[in-house]
Amino acid sequence: MDISRHLAWGEVKEHKRIYGIIIVVISLTMTSFMLENAYLNYMMQVVNDTTKIITADVIIANSDYTIRDLYGTGCELRNAGEIADRIERELPGYETSIRVTAQGTYGIGAAGEGADACSIQGIDPLDDSISDIRSKIVEGRFFKEDDPILRGHTPFYIKIRGPGSLPDFTYGTGQRLLKNEKPYPIIVGATAAKLHPSLIKVGKTLDLTISMSGRETSYAGITVKIIGLYESGTPTLDAIVWFMHVDSLREIKGYGNITGRDWYIPGVGTFRGFNPIEIDRKRGDVVLVKAPEPFYQLDPIGYSEEVKKKICSIVPNLKVFSWHDFLVYIAGSMQDVVTLMVWGSMAVTLFLCGATIKYVMDSIILRKTREIGSLKAFGARDRLIFKIFLYQGLFIGIIAGVVGIIVSVIVMNLVSWYGLSMEFIAGTQLDIGFIVNWITILVALLLPIILSVLAAAFPAKKAAGLSPVEALRKGELSL
Amino acid sequence: MSKSYDPIIRLEHVSKVYNEYGTKVLALDDISLEISRGEFVSIVGPSGCGKSTMLHCMGLLDRPSSGTIYIEGKDTSKISGKEIALFRGYRLGFVFQNYNLIPRLTVLENVMLPGLIMGKNKKDVEHRAYTLLRETGISHRADHRGIHLSGGEQQKVAIARALINNPVIVLADEPTGALDTKNSLDIMNLLSKINREKRVTFIVVSHDNNISRYGNRKILLKDGKITEDIKKKNRRKYEHT
Ligand SMILES: Nc1ncnc2c1ncn2[C@@H]1O[C@H](COP(=O)(O)OP(=O)(O)OP(=O)(O)O)[C@@H](O)[C@H]1O
Ligand SMILES: [Mg+2]
Repeated sequence: MDISRHLAWGEVKEHKRIYGIIIVVISLTMTSFMLENAYLNYMMQVVNDTTKIITADVIIANSDYTIRDLYGTGCELRNAGEIADRIERELPGYETSIRVTAQGTYGIGAAGEGADACSIQGIDPLDDSISDIRSKIVEGRFFKEDDPILRGHTPFYIKIRGPGSLPDFTYGTGQRLLKNEKPYPIIVGATAAKLHPSLIKVGKTLDLTISMSGRETSYAGITVKIIGLYESGTPTLDAIVWFMHVDSLREIKGYGNITGRDWYIPGVGTFRGFNPIEIDRKRGDVVLVKAPEPFYQLDPIGYSEEVKKKICSIVPNLKVFSWHDFLVYIAGSMQDVVTLMVWGSMAVTLFLCGATIKYVMDSIILRKTREIGSLKAFGARDRLIFKIFLYQGLFIGIIAGVVGIIVSVIVMNLVSWYGLSMEFIAGTQLDIGFIVNWITILVALLLPIILSVLAAAFPAKKAAGLSPVEALRKGELSL
Repeated sequence: MSKSYDPIIRLEHVSKVYNEYGTKVLALDDISLEISRGEFVSIVGPSGCGKSTMLHCMGLLDRPSSGTIYIEGKDTSKISGKEIALFRGYRLGFVFQNYNLIPRLTVLENVMLPGLIMGKNKKDVEHRAYTLLRETGISHRADHRGIHLSGGEQQKVAIARALINNPVIVLADEPTGALDTKNSLDIMNLLSKINREKRVTFIVVSHDNNISRYGNRKILLKDGKITEDIKKKNRRKYEHT
């Protein structure tokens, strides 16, 4: 073994008490950093998974779209198909999906239940690599090929012109008007089923009033059949976001070639509906874009913004929302603040530890001048003395890093073994979990090492520069 | 063994001025001196006369303010810091008044230390350390920690340590300063035995006249100047009473 390493290790052992305290502080700091980071990663993953069910990395929408419309009924993006194609062409590896959204209301007049609203997302079960609803079904089933997705006609509604200064009034009925018509299949969030147990159950049919346009007050009544319940991991989302086949929504919103005509009754209004429609798959409300998975996930927010910038340059005239915009919209900037605080508090503690290491070593060197002087008399070069103290820093850093990682792994295992979970809405529970990625481990290991080596470098330099005579004389004084 | 130079150390008009807080102290005042290979030199003088300063300069631990020190014919004012370290490691051995054993190391490890610092093979160094411990009569304590030994024993370990790299000169600053009479004489006997048997040059600083009887040359220092330089024909051998 290298003599400088040997002597350094001896020093660490000799001062094991004070170095031990420093190691404990650093490793606990790293433990809390790792736990917080791993928990944040987990929460990010949860939010990521669930929000991306409806948002993906980036959403492209009409210029008068606001982020709130994502939950409601957006305005149509006329050339959705063309934009989706362009993105996939210009950004290889990026996936797109045209989505239609609508706002629904249900439970009006139901005994013992209040009316509630849902945001219906139209998904294409065959061509939607973005939503991963299929794997989230907890009861019932996902869409099947022979599901009655299409009616072949638009839903029925009647639009009554407001007489005089009264506004127009549109009414749709959810009743099945044709006997042989089957209801549209729909997948509902598990939380909604818990909130409205008498209305929502797999196999039940439900009348929905759908707002069909973002601009006008036009409503259509439809009947849906609940084929499955899903659980995304975020109970709040599961209370409001439902899924229908995108073509069903296109039909309901009239995105296609409508050939029938309306009956206009003077003085009353317009009866509309049952118009034969051939849906146009190029039409939709928004285009979702999924970027390729980044190489690492240390900064998902930064990555999200990066992706947004790229998309903006391709569709400069449209609204582009990043996943992070959406996150901020639903959760505020809390996540960002917490992340900042985790790093900030760690930086402060580590800085203090670094300063402590420096001062402890300074005082050790002061006590050891005679030893340093004798080493120099025995032929030790400045570099060797420097290395003795630098190695001490390295050892402290390595031990602190490794201990920190071990302790946090133990804590994480204890938590998951004990099964901690958080109370969520409607009696649902959100498990507390951790996701440790290799960047977190690398940071938890390298940061204390870099820190303590840096902190040790200053006293090490001082020790190396001691004049041997001074060192020997000073030592004599202390006897 | 390398080519033998004589004199092994030569001081030419060496002065050392300390300048602390504006007051100048002339610790060494124009000293010229030659020491031959195999000599056993005692440097004596009252406290503050510059003995340690002279020893430090000769041991390349300090540089003189003016003048030149030649060791084995080499002008030491012209060599780099790295070379000075090599020189100290390979050619010089040091014995201090307060032994300076590294407390957490064992006796054996302490003796091996200068060998390991010079990057020598561990096995060889260990073997040589044992031999030296046997010669200094302390091998039975090889695995004990240095600080658990008595002063006399510690100094014997320090002497073994000074010899580990086969130095041509051993410099000792008051090696018996912290010891009682019996132990002092023990140590001086040991040094003089090594000097005779190994032909290692010894320069021993002391202010004790009993100690300066050892060796074949006595240099008296006063106020940084050599006032006497006595070479003895017959080396006196100490007889135990
Ligand atoms: N670093 C220094 N700064 C200022 N003066 C110094 C320094 N080192 C030594 N001196 C002075 O130089 C003179 C010689 O000191 P030195 O240590 O060589 O004496 P010495 O003969 O070894 O004395 P002693 O027998 O007490 O050890 C003394 O007057 C001392 O005060
Ligand atoms: Mg002295």
